[in-house]
This record gives sequence, C-alpha cells and structure tokens, in this order.
Amino acid sequence: MTNAQLDTPVLILGGGVAGLAAAVDLARRGVAATIIEREPRLGGRASQFCCKATEACARCGACRLGELLVQAAHLPQITIYTAALAVAAQPQGDGWRVELSPQPGGEIGPGPGRPLRERTTLNTQAVILAVGGEAFNPAGKTRFGHGRVDGVFSALELEAMLSQGALGPDGLAPAKVAFIQCVGSRDASLGRLWCSRVCCGYALRMGRVIRKLLPESQVTFFHMDVQDYGRAWEDELPELRKQMRFVRAMPGEVTAGDGRPEVTYALAGEQAIKEGFDLVVLSVGLGPPNGASALGELFGAAKDSDGFLTTDGGPAGVFVAGAAAGPRSLNESMVHGGLAASQAASRVASLTEARHG
Amino acid sequence: MAKVSLVWVATPGLIDLDPALVAKAAGMSLDQGGLLEAAVVTTSLEQAPKQLRQRLVGLPVAWLELAAEVGGGPQAHRLARAAVAVSRAAGRAAKGTLPPVYAPQPAQSVLVAGAGFGALAAAWEAAALGHPVTLATPFDDAVQAGADDDPEAVSLLAAQLPAQVELVPHSELTRLIGGAGGFNVWLSTNGDAPQTYGAVFLAPPGELAVGCEVDGLDPALCCPVSELNPEDYEGPQDGWLHVAVLAGTAEPVPSYSFSAALEAALALARRPRVQVTLLFSEARVAAPGGEKLFRDCREAGVLMARVEPGKLSLRDGGRELAWLDPLLGEELELAPAALVLAQQAVAPRPAWLDNDLLIKPWDELVPDNPRLAGGRTSRTGLYLTGALRGTAPGDARRAEAASAAAAMHEVLTGKVVPMPVVRDSFCASCLTCVRTCPHGAPRYAGEHIQCAPAACVACGACAAECPAEAIAPPGWGNPEMFSSLEWGLALAPEPKMVLFACAASGMPAVASLSAQGHEWPAGLVIYPLVCAARMSQLLLLKSLELGAKRVLVAGCHPGNCRSVTGNHKAMAKITSLSGDLAALGLPPEAMEFLPLAANQTRELAQKVAAMAQAAGEE
Repeated sequence: MTNAQLDTPVLILGGGVAGLAAAVDLARRGVAATIIEREPRLGGRASQFCCKATEACARCGACRLGELLVQAAHLPQITIYTAALAVAAQPQGDGWRVELSPQPGGEIGPGPGRPLRERTTLNTQAVILAVGGEAFNPAGKTRFGHGRVDGVFSALELEAMLSQGALGPDGLAPAKVAFIQCVGSRDASLGRLWCSRVCCGYALRMGRVIRKLLPESQVTFFHMDVQDYGRAWEDELPELRKQMRFVRAMPGEVTAGDGRPEVTYALAGEQAIKEGFDLVVLSVGLGPPNGASALGELFGAAKDSDGFLTTDGGPAGVFVAGAAAGPRSLNESMVHGGLAASQAASRVASLTEARHG
Repeated sequence: MAKVSLVWVATPGLIDLDPALVAKAAGMSLDQGGLLEAAVVTTSLEQAPKQLRQRLVGLPVAWLELAAEVGGGPQAHRLARAAVAVSRAAGRAAKGTLPPVYAPQPAQSVLVAGAGFGALAAAWEAAALGHPVTLATPFDDAVQAGADDDPEAVSLLAAQLPAQVELVPHSELTRLIGGAGGFNVWLSTNGDAPQTYGAVFLAPPGELAVGCEVDGLDPALCCPVSELNPEDYEGPQDGWLHVAVLAGTAEPVPSYSFSAALEAALALARRPRVQVTLLFSEARVAAPGGEKLFRDCREAGVLMARVEPGKLSLRDGGRELAWLDPLLGEELELAPAALVLAQQAVAPRPAWLDNDLLIKPWDELVPDNPRLAGGRTSRTGLYLTGALRGTAPGDARRAEAASAAAAMHEVLTGKVVPMPVVRDSFCASCLTCVRTCPHGAPRYAGEHIQCAPAACVACGACAAECPAEAIAPPGWGNPEMFSSLEWGLALAPEPKMVLFACAASGMPAVASLSAQGHEWPAGLVIYPLVCAARMSQLLLLKSLELGAKRVLVAGCHPGNCRSVTGNHKAMAKITSLSGDLAALGLPPEAMEFLPLAANQTRELAQKVAAMAQAAGEE
C-alpha cells in the first residue's frame, strides 16, 4: 500500500498558540505551512483557559486564541490536519520526509482544519516543533493530596471550572481558597530544577477572579517568591497584596480534615499550623513535553539540561517554538512562534535560492 | 488648466435638482454632448452608463457620487451642497485625474533607529523580507551595542547583516510625524529635510541602571554587576573579604537582572577567602537556568539574605548594613568591604514620542496589552522594541523583532481594509477625526483630509465621531448602517433587541456559540462592528427608534482594545445617554456595555438570555 503524498514548505507539529502563531506569521511572510494537530481540534491547552479579566483585562492572552483560529482558517497559505500524528521522520535531500498517521477519534469538529484520513507521507523543507510543554501531574506530589483529598484541585482544573462557571455565586462557592505555588517546579526532590514562569501570574489572576466572583471569600497564596510577569503585573502587585493573604511558606502536606482539606505549613521560627480551606488549588508547573524524547528521536532535536527541546545544536531545518522550548506564557509563546517562523522562512528562502541558482 | 464640464447623470437622489442651476452655481458649463477636456460626473465609475464611460476614456474625470454628497433636507440646501461638491471636484479634475480614495501606497522602505541586538535583529528581519532598510545608529558602526547586550551576539548578528541595509552612523532620530505614505522622519544627519519610511522600528540602545537599589550608598564602595571583575577580589591571608550583592532590596528586580547578579555572586564566591552575601526581596529565578544558578550559589557558600522591600538600613554609605531576617526573625548586620549592585536595562523614552498626533501615550498606560504584543503599538507601522519596551535582553528581543517584522511586512504589502472616504463637501475641516483616530491615520493635507493606509485598521472611530457625517467608508456611513439595522429589526419579532459585537471579542464569541448550535432569541439582531469605537450615540438611539427594547454592545475588556480606547469610548457614550433613557421612560438596562473576551461564550449567552427575559416581561 502506498501512502498519500503531500508537499509543504514548512511543517508545524502542534496546533496550539505557538504553532498557530508560527503559521500565521509564515503566511504574513508569504510562506505556506501545514499544521498537524494530534487532537481532534486545534487550540492546545489554551482552549481550556478562562478569561481572567476583572475590572480590566488581566493580559493573560487566553482570548487571542480565537483570533488566531479565525486567521488560520481564512489564510489560504495555511493547511490544517487534525487527529494526525508524526510517526516517522527522516532527512531527505535538503528537507525532511515525515510519515503521518491518522489518530482515532477524528470527527470533524467545530473550528478550522479537517481530520487526517489516511497514512500520509509529507515532504517538507523545514519543521517547527510546537508541541507545547506538559503540565505537571499533581498526583506526582502525593503529599498534596490531589486525587485523594476532596477539595484539592490542580490549577488546570480550576481554569476549566472558572470558564464553565462551575465556581461562583451559582456554583461552588468556597469561603476560603488556598493556592499552593511551585507544585512540580523549583523542586529538587522531583528533579525539576526550574521555575515555570507562568504559575505566579495565573494563580494570582485566578485568585483575583475568585475575589471578584465571591467578594466574601478569602484567598491565601502560599509561595516561595513572586516572579516577574510583565510590566503591568509589577504595578498591580501592591493592590493584589491587599486583596489576598500572601504567605511565604511551602506547605508540608494537605490532608482530609473535618469535611474539608487541611493545609499544614509553618511560618519562619514558629510551630507548624494546620489550617482548613474549602478549596486548595495546586499551581502546577510546566515541564518538557511528554513526547519530547519520542520527537527527539524522530527528528534528532536537541534538548537542554532540563529536557526541553532547543533549536540550537539540533539538526538543520528543525526549529522549536513555544512551551516545548521552556516554560512560556501564552503571549510569550505566540511571539516565540514568530521567531521560529522567521527561522523557517529564511531556510525555505535560502533553499529555493540555491535550487534556482 | 483644462476646462471642466459637468456631466449630469440623473440618479434617483438628484431628480429634483436642476443641472443647469448646479453648473451655473459652480461656475461650469453643462455637458451638451460635445468635445470635453475634463469632466465632473455625478455618479460613480461603476454606475455610469457604458457609453458615457467610453466617451470619457483618457480624460481627467472626477467621479462624484453626488446623491450621497448632497444628502437630504430642503431643496435649496441640497442645491447649495451640490454646487460646492461639484466645484471642489472640478478643481481636482482640472488638475488631472485623482484616485477615488486619498490613499497613496505606503512607502516600502523601513527605518530602524537604534543600536544593539534588538535593532540589528529588526534590520535583519526587514531586509530578509525584501524591504530597503536604513539603520540609523548613534554609534560609529553596527557592532557597537547597548550596555545591556551581549557584545559577541551583537557582532555575530552585525556580520550577517545583508548588504542592502544602509547604515547611517552618528544619527539620532529627532522628530517623527505620521504621514499619508507612512512616516516623515527627521534624522540629525539629514538636517531639516524629512525622509519618508513605510515603517519605523524604535530600538534605542539599552542602558544599565542601578535604580532599583537603596539610596545613600557611597559610590566608592559600589560596583555595578556589568563592571565587576571578580579577579580583583581576594580575601586577606588571615581572614575574609565580605562582599554584599544587592539584587533588588528596595523592590524586586526582573529575572534576567537577578540571574546576572547570581552569576556575579557565584564568580565572587569562587575567589579565595571571599564571603558573599546576596540580599534580595524576591528571588526572581524565572529566567532560563535561574533556579539552578540560585542553588549553585547556595552550594558555593553564598549567604542568602531576604529583606523586606525597602527595609535595608545602612550607615556610613553602605559600610554597615542591617536588616530583619524574616526566616530567623532576628536583626542581622553586615559590614561589607564592597557592594555589587544589580542593574536593569532601560532606554530613555524620546520626548517627541508622546506627540499625541502620532501615538498617544497610551502604550504607557496600557503596557502588555495582549493585542499589541511583540513590539506592536497602536500606530500600525511603528514598533517599539528592546529596552524601550522592557523586553529582557537576548533571545526575547530576537523573537520580538521577528514577530514585529512579519506584522510590518503584511501591512506594507498585502493589506486589504476599506479605507475611509472623506466626502469633501461635507467635511468642515474640524479635525475631529485627526484627534479621534487611535492609530494616527488621518492628516489634514492642505485642502482635504488624507489617510495613511498602513495605519488604518478600519475601526471606525472617526466615522462615529465625525459631526458632519463626512466619513463614509463602505458599510460605515450612518445611512448604510441605519438601513441595514432597519431591515434587520423590521424582520425580528418582539421583543426586538440589538447586539453590537466587536470583531475581536463579541463576534468570535457569537461565532463559537453559533457553531455549538446555540439558539439565539428570535428577536435578536446581531450587528458586527470592527471595533466598539464605531458605536455612536446616534446609532444607539436609532436602534431604540427602530423598535429595539434592548441594545447591548459587546466589546473588549478595558486594556485589551486593539484601538486602545474603542471600548472606553463606547462605554462613555452609553453612560452619557443613561439620563436620556429615563426621560424616554426606558429602564437603565435598555442600553448596556458588556466587557467580553473572545472565549467568554458562557457570559455572553447568559447576558443575552437575561436580556431577552427582561425585555419579554415588559
């Protein structure tokens, strides 16, 4: 059986914000691109995120996904296949020859792109790996009780709850909420020695949304350090410190208390305290993509010491964009997608020039 | 000058006007079918009869949609307006043909004003996209960089700079004004003569500032991180040399600057008999490798001292430091022999940038507007990058330049947006559009308003504000909007409602709800707008006049508007009408603004449902 054949100047693996931004930027540069998304629909993790605006825009960038999807759907230079996975890749001539396999569950959903129907061989001059990072699975940090203690959620679950309206005056209305930062980040015991950059930003923004939805609620923010997150963010911190309780301590454990989770923590020089909360949110960090090792083997992509993919030192014609290359916010991922687009476009241009003398 | 004749095509709106009177009032002769030198025709090229078009081939012709120009009102007023419009058009036809829209092609050339990694990256990107690039640097050559750049990376990038980049050394940008073809730019090397560029990148070389540390330090004791030479530090044979590294004690420093301070601390700690204490208020480890560096420092014996912001007390110019350690709860003291200070990259903001006709100082008021990420500003074609915008040195600046360059290329080459048409005979030259436009597109150029095509994003703020209704781009003029609203509301069953939805927030939410099969109330008319800025009080009141019980405007959240204040303007108009609603006997919620993000579909559906219920109960 022979595979269907496709040719594209640039192949983008991953239809999240970084991949979409790379495709749109390539189209702006006049270069065609094909996006391959493993899931049945585009958007990646950002499609789960809620808007974090209160009185004003919180500048999280979650709303820009919609804009990118509309652009990607309308630009003629962009071809999109959903439910498609790269299963083999080999360098061929100046470019790459990539085998794509359809994934189960590929119905035509809302949004741009059509599912891949058959095994396809794709020839391309440049590859952009925009496969995103992997959020830390909070079950890996057993003492925080995720999956064991009622009322303990990961921040991703909270995002979904807020965007579906499950939390608020009409739903779950916790009086006391705790955010525990750095779950799966800055943690030597897990071998994850990096700061995930984005968690302080999303946790404090969601804390502020909760305070707005439930003005009577009390939000506690357990943290080591508050990281920087844009210029406006820095200006907003004093106001946030008034709205929430900032506790500089990493809790030791979260246990099932009297009908609600209890957080055990110790302030400097004091005895351990047990405090009950109605909702405990674990701010999970970003790590290297799960498929990083598989993709690494597929394309020979280089990795940094933390396991994230890098463009530098990798094979010719393979570029990395977005959170696959290290923890990045949505806005940062989109700008980073623009960099990969620039690199891929200049490679395509130089190959075309060489071919036509 | 050519003799201009009036060619009268009697379109429906002109039935009651006497062509001879109009021609006489305008001081022209009426076309009798003879030979013509130049002509004003009272309809558009598309609507003119074929024979007439053939007859006028090659002649200077002003195609004038006279019916739209004269509007309604008493016949005498319409006659007067027709005469003014015709005579103005005749003036243009006498000079030869002119395009129907005053929109010259944008210049293709790009100016990069600045130096360093970000400026070189922008020049490289623009040249790679085929634009002629001028790099105006304040220095001798391209290799000289800002204090915040890595010199090696800069010289590597400078060596890759394509030959078509014209380098202008010792050059400062002194003035910048948006023009119809892009930007008129004054460079110190060019004297008084401005040059025109289609796009401008401002990337002034960054400086390193120590503004984040405590005041009152003795300069003789201090060394900024960038000037540190660890080799100079060595303890005495019989003791220790105490060095304090101040990394954000007054307020936290950005993570790139904290990482640089950590590297300095680590280098010092590896010197013989040097004891390093790092003082900080927050450990900013978000830069790549920051956490590992932090741990390496601790392992190398650097003492970590956290201080409350601004609570570091010092005596004798910093020779004695004291602070309260929050972990131990004790007062700690240190008498350092030297102080090393963390630095932040800054760039002076040129004073002329706040010229409110070019770019309003909004990008300072709304920094991090996600729609203006990647170096963009509200003025399309103008990009602020690097230290001027607070972007961290290194790769982030490269990405910023790449992202901005792609946007710029699209604007200069393939942009298709309807351009505003200014109807000359209506225009009172009041300059409301020039003041209103958030993108700095309109200019008053001698006789009429000219717009820069690259700047316009078709938000419609000008059309909403123009008191003379002189701005009539396709679909924006009040008559077109009123009539389509009328058709929509006439068909809608009671209770009638209008949802004006911004293309960046309301419309995507509407689209994704509709794609999910959401059922809208039967009486709801959804009217898409490019931006909430197009909302005028007239449009709001017209909706009520046409029978709408509720008017909802779904625009972006404050701080998230592509046109910077389009949403604020719409909100202000609705607020200012609330008093009139009471006078009309309408509840205050008859007109509302809903701040919305594109992904807030649930909020929109709930709001519309609540609105329909309330309107139905009345």
